[in-house]
Amino acid sequence: MLQRSSSVKKLHVTSASLSSIIQLGDSTVINGFSRAIAVQKEQQLFIGDSVDFSRYPIFRRPFVFPQENEQLTISTYHLNPIISVNTINVMGVSASSVLHIGNTQSVNMEARVKHIRELLPKRNR
Amino acid sequence: MNFQVYNRDLNVGNIRVIGVSSSSLLMVGDAETIQLASAFDTPAESLIIGPFVPLSLDETS
Repeated sequence: MLQRSSSVKKLHVTSASLSSIIQLGDSTVINGFSRAIAVQKEQQLFIGDSVDFSRYPIFRRPFVFPQENEQLTISTYHLNPIISVNTINVMGVSASSVLHIGNTQSVNMEARVKHIRELLPKRNR
Repeated sequence: MNFQVYNRDLNVGNIRVIGVSSSSLLMVGDAETIQLASAFDTPAESLIIGPFVPLSLDETS
């Protein structure tokens, strides 16, 4: 099958961090996975801190995706086989994210974040 | 179901993005399947108000 080509005149990325990818060109499979425990503390107190993902159910619970039941026949006609973009300006690509220019077949990405705020009792605030 | 797609001219000027984060995808091109999932647990469910005494280490919340 003939594919479309992507044409980007100028790409500017300030930062790509934490297992992120900038992919120029085609790919077949993209799998991204990111998990984080974000702790905000009102006081610098570190007691009994164990950063263990298995302690929190949010890192374990399965995702339920809708089932594809319908029989589907897709026919795509590329009357103009070029996707053209003048400029892309991205400040940050982070936490297993992907900036992709080009075609791919399958993308599968997952992110799980646990936020914790440790606040002082009212009388100490 | 028969699904027909006609891709005609696609010209984009400028794309300005502050951030692509937490297993997100910014893509210029075609893809067959895209599946994205994210789960968040944010306060108040995960709010801890002191005093901070480590009574138990295997509490789950």
